[in-house]
Amino acid sequence: MSDGTARVHRLDADREAEPHVELWVFGLNHRTAPVELRERLAFPEQDVAEVLRRALAAAPVEEAVLISTCNRVELVAVSARDVDVVEPVTQFFARERGVPATTIASHSYVHRGRQALQHVFRVASSLDSMMVGEPQILGQMKEQFRLAVEGAAASRILRRCFERSFTVAKRVRSETGVAGKAVSLSSAAVELAKRIFDDLGDKTAMLIGAGKMSELAARHFVGNGIASVIVTNRSFDRAVELARSFGGTPVPFERYQQYLPLADVVLGSVTTSGHLLGPSQLHEVLRARRRKPMFFIDLGVPRNFDPAINDLDNVYLYNIDDLAHVADDHRSEREKEAVRAEEIVREETDRFWRWISRRDVTPTIVALRGKLDGIRKNELERALGALRKLEPDERRALEAMTQAIVNKILHPPLSVLKQLALQDATEAAQVAELVHRLFALEPARASEATDDDEE
Amino acid sequence: MSEALLLRLAILLYLAGTVCGGLSLVNPRDAMRRATAISLAAGFLLQGAGIVVRSFEVGTIAVGNLAEQGALFACLLVGVYLLAQLRYRLAVLGAVVGPIGFVGALVALVAHGGAQDVPPFLRSPWLPVHVTLAFLGNAAFGLACLVSLVYLWQERQLKSHSLRPLARRLPPLETLDNVNFKFLGWGFVLLTMSIVSGVLWAELSFGRFWSWEPRTIWTTIIWLLYAVLLHGRVTVGWGGRRAAALTIVGFGVLFVAFIGVNVLTPGRHAESFG
Repeated sequence: MSDGTARVHRLDADREAEPHVELWVFGLNHRTAPVELRERLAFPEQDVAEVLRRALAAAPVEEAVLISTCNRVELVAVSARDVDVVEPVTQFFARERGVPATTIASHSYVHRGRQALQHVFRVASSLDSMMVGEPQILGQMKEQFRLAVEGAAASRILRRCFERSFTVAKRVRSETGVAGKAVSLSSAAVELAKRIFDDLGDKTAMLIGAGKMSELAARHFVGNGIASVIVTNRSFDRAVELARSFGGTPVPFERYQQYLPLADVVLGSVTTSGHLLGPSQLHEVLRARRRKPMFFIDLGVPRNFDPAINDLDNVYLYNIDDLAHVADDHRSEREKEAVRAEEIVREETDRFWRWISRRDVTPTIVALRGKLDGIRKNELERALGALRKLEPDERRALEAMTQAIVNKILHPPLSVLKQLALQDATEAAQVAELVHRLFALEPARASEATDDDEE
Repeated sequence: MSEALLLRLAILLYLAGTVCGGLSLVNPRDAMRRATAISLAAGFLLQGAGIVVRSFEVGTIAVGNLAEQGALFACLLVGVYLLAQLRYRLAVLGAVVGPIGFVGALVALVAHGGAQDVPPFLRSPWLPVHVTLAFLGNAAFGLACLVSLVYLWQERQLKSHSLRPLARRLPPLETLDNVNFKFLGWGFVLLTMSIVSGVLWAELSFGRFWSWEPRTIWTTIIWLLYAVLLHGRVTVGWGGRRAAALTIVGFGVLFVAFIGVNVLTPGRHAESFG
């Protein structure tokens, strides 16, 4: 073989030295999509298993996990290589949630391969959160992963991938200070309340609307010893249900204003067309409660409370951006830690990527095909040398016949290898090894060679 | 021990208390808070001892000039603060109270011996009682004013949604508001008692329970001002920003009137202490 052919071969092998499976992240988050769109695309927990089942049927993906929180909706999926999943997944989301596919496309991002893996690790480690370092995302991911496993949507690859991401998150948490501070929005809200109120132990919080974020914030207040919680919601059943989980009191939405003077902390997360409360209503409330301070937290979209109430004496209004701003004051302290956290994520991504690459059978396939084709060409040359007086037609027929023989022989083993690569990494590696030995293939497993170099 | 030595030691301790108070703002640790309180308490005791020594020298309570009055005010302010600190988490105020004690003791040391003698007709057991009550009241109002300044500073940050790191070390607004109320209440009681003692003294010694002179007029105005403020708090529920602002205004009037009366105007209170 000339040098030229060898180089071409090497290039081919390099290009192909990527996993036979492809990892995808398709999604949108707080940076790419407005809250309205995120809310429309979010999936209720009880639907997730069913949604995943439909996703596996609708898109050419073998495995899938859905990450749906108030800040992100993402589908992590595994497909065969050289399959485009972006279009079918976009269409799937559009159908599921009744949102135009173009809207989704313009607000979403797609990561694939190593980048997708790194993204999953970053999300689990709370490095991609609105509030970097907030602790809730990991629990949410674990829950959604559990649902996917139960629904048999996550198997070999995604199971390893997510379990690994949890380990990475734990490592980031214990080895860096990213999560060390009060960083979530809820914690920021509680911290602010502690700047205002002497003692939360005699204070009352009122939840207007039962949004996920305000529920979370309320739990933080309960965890910090707030005396009582009043819950009101357009759906009274939901108010009752939520109140029960806090040991709180549900009140009907039509009459919540009567109870407002009792509330020291008010969390609003209702979808309204106008402001729920303005300065004039609040004047009465303040008089009724003898002007004791009130802390309003506006988590609603659009805003629940008229910003003008912040100008009233003893009234403090924070919306979600203000909370983020306060929580961000820690950012300078955390930035150094975030750099270290990113390093950990990169390191872990490399390590796990090698694992994914190792299960790759592409080099074996390339080597096997190359070997057989080499034999075919050699033997053909020799035969053509003996049969000098052949017409071009006859030559082509011989050419095609030998090619067909090689392909027919190769077809079953190659399908088995590809299938195994998708299903069982260990077995795939063993079989590939066996193929190498049986056919005396060159050690063309580029990925493993680099592995050994690096380890 | 001589008064000057006591004052020098008190100055050093107030300085130490100020430094510790400042450090505990930057890096809040219990050890640092304790060091602040102990330094200030020791400074207070030494300065107090200095005032007692000086008082024995002059034969009655040593408030013979503005410097001595300032020193007494500062000393009592530190004392009231230390008492209040036992009840409320006010450690951060140590960094402000420390310098006040420091300046008070320094002024007393510099002006040492420059005071006039107290005229014989005021040499009465009533004098220390009357003066101490009045100065304790002023100290309480002064602390109410400090607390209100801290309140307003923090309130503005909370309203504007940008908290400086230092603000995270301050007591909550509600605590500051409560403490403000307590200081005002105590100040008012002490001021009233001081007025009553003055009235009794005047009646018993001079046969006239009240004389209209600048000091008594201003004291009446200040008493009314604080009375209105307290009444507003108790009945209408004035609190927060408005109460804090009025507290500061009240003390401003008190302070200016005190200095002004001393420096500018004649009268029984001023002529003897000018």
